[in-house]
Amino acid sequence: MANVDFRTVVKSFGTFTALHGLDLSIKSGEFVALLGPSGCGKTTTLRMLAGLEFPTSGDIIIGDRRVNDLPPGERDIAMVFQSYALYPHMTVAENIAYPLKKRGVPKAERGPMVAKTAEMLHLTALLDRKPKQLSGGQQQRVALGRALIRDPKVFLLDEPLSNLDAKLRSQLRAELIELHRRLGRTMVYVTHDQLEAMTMADRIAIMEGGNLQQFAPPAEVYARPANRFVAGFIGTPGMTLMDGMLVQSGNGWAFETEGLRLRLPRLIDSAKPGAAAFGIRPEDVHLGSGDLTGEVVLTEATGHETIVTVAIAPGVRVIARIPGTPALRIGDRVPVTLDAARAHVFAAGPQGARLNHPSGTADADEAFNIATPLRVASKGVLS
Amino acid sequence: MRKFLGPIVLNVFAWTTILAVAFPLFWMLVTSVKPQSELFRRPPTMMPEVWTFEHYWHLLTQTNFLVYFRNSVMLSTVTTLLVVTVATLGAYSLVRFRYRGRESLAFMVLFTYLLPSVVLIIPLYLMLVSLGLSNTLFSLVIAYTTFALPYALWLMRSFMAGVPDDLEYAAMVDGASRMGAFVDVILPQLLPGIISTALFTFILSWNEYLYALVLVNSDDARPLTTGVMNMLISSFNIEWSLLMAASVMMSVPLIIVFAFLQSYLTRGFGAGAVKG
Repeated sequence: MANVDFRTVVKSFGTFTALHGLDLSIKSGEFVALLGPSGCGKTTTLRMLAGLEFPTSGDIIIGDRRVNDLPPGERDIAMVFQSYALYPHMTVAENIAYPLKKRGVPKAERGPMVAKTAEMLHLTALLDRKPKQLSGGQQQRVALGRALIRDPKVFLLDEPLSNLDAKLRSQLRAELIELHRRLGRTMVYVTHDQLEAMTMADRIAIMEGGNLQQFAPPAEVYARPANRFVAGFIGTPGMTLMDGMLVQSGNGWAFETEGLRLRLPRLIDSAKPGAAAFGIRPEDVHLGSGDLTGEVVLTEATGHETIVTVAIAPGVRVIARIPGTPALRIGDRVPVTLDAARAHVFAAGPQGARLNHPSGTADADEAFNIATPLRVASKGVLS
Repeated sequence: MRKFLGPIVLNVFAWTTILAVAFPLFWMLVTSVKPQSELFRRPPTMMPEVWTFEHYWHLLTQTNFLVYFRNSVMLSTVTTLLVVTVATLGAYSLVRFRYRGRESLAFMVLFTYLLPSVVLIIPLYLMLVSLGLSNTLFSLVIAYTTFALPYALWLMRSFMAGVPDDLEYAAMVDGASRMGAFVDVILPQLLPGIISTALFTFILSWNEYLYALVLVNSDDARPLTTGVMNMLISSFNIEWSLLMAASVMMSVPLIIVFAFLQSYLTRGFGAGAVKG
């Protein structure tokens, strides 16, 4: 087991900078997901940790060793590749035994170790097969076996489930969680799938454009996104985000956008009037009561819940998550409440910082009584 | 009616082509086992009335044929080994490493292949003379390498590009050095490419005539092509029966090598390597 530290790590490819001074501290035994869209720098981060790329500046620490200049084989890590990267000319047994062979483990000792790993991953019957004779899920297990057999300090997983079908993915997801619990090893898991990150990781590092946006446990990332990018990226369906103006209203704040004026919970001291964004999650939009009226423009029933898109003003649509299958039709007019105590306010710009206090904290409670959510109404009617 | 006509026309065409290609080979074989008296008979006999191997025996015992044969085997083998080694490592460099001028280097190499070999023969000859290598088998090895290597490099480059980077990275993470990963993981994937390149180079060296004619003129260093030509074809006479026997013996090694290796060429070694 070992902790992993990135200290102001920069990585440039020619004139393109893939990573702008990453600072990230992963605790020993922690399961951390690097999450972000394509090109956000998550895979570059993992490859630098593996030793397949070298940082332009900054330090990478595994345990108490600076590993910047160490080749991959000397870092005591194991990696599972998105493509599995099984050696096609070797059998399953030879594939799993390869890391041992390269580290000079005598042949007599390798056999029992391979057998044990194979048993753990239900591969015993397949040991004599070649990779091309295996299904995708089996190939994935072999790749895992090759990583597990050596008991390294850190496991690196590069989108290991992205080539599998949905059912197999959820099954392997559970197996990986169980594996991490059993082994207690540090795991760094790269994914673009937020479901994987949310369900598996102890902490999620959300990246975009070569910058770390937020590094926090899944629940916090969801409830208190650090900026507008994280707010929009996490959650399915996503948070409704609208651009508008932040204005002072009495001794509080309000948010104005096309045809709407929303009163806001207390903001942080540094908040200034001007362009800003207002965000609200689908579960914080309630239909059936409220001063605001909206028109249903889309309903998507998934069985246990229905996702309803409602136009509350010209050009302003919010998404609501309603349990079950309510009798709503497109064109229906319904009363709408936005639970303002649970709303999010961000500074302008795609990565605008969070401006309101995290909901559920003393500050927020003081400013707002969550039990009686603020009614939101058309401009001029209520503020 | 039309339904039947199509396949019939196609079959007739295919078989005509096959016969046109195969007949000279058949005639070579038949002529090599006919006695001298039967060679120019009119009308010609399709199959020999008397089978004889006297031409083969004559070639093997009373001429320099075996010396030429040994020269050809050595020449082609050494050239093949050299070309395959350099092409494999060169292709690895061109595909895996990033450096300035990488692409232009690859195109420059290809460009040299496009030059007619006649253009290079005189400068190459002068260079080999000044190196003191003229009239040696090694001079032919160098000459053949110069014109086999560009194509071999391009061939290997495309095979190398088909080997996923991840395989090498995986081996390195598993504890192999870069060279270790190359030997353990990359080389086995390249086997079909190496075999294709080796076949191409071997056949090219085995059949080459022009450079052998210009660069070598002693019997000790002559390969089969110029040796047989020199021995059996003069201004006044062509020893047809011996020539055909020699041709059969020149073709046999190639046919054997090709028959053994062609299954490797088509075998999908890379299948199942990586998903995606």
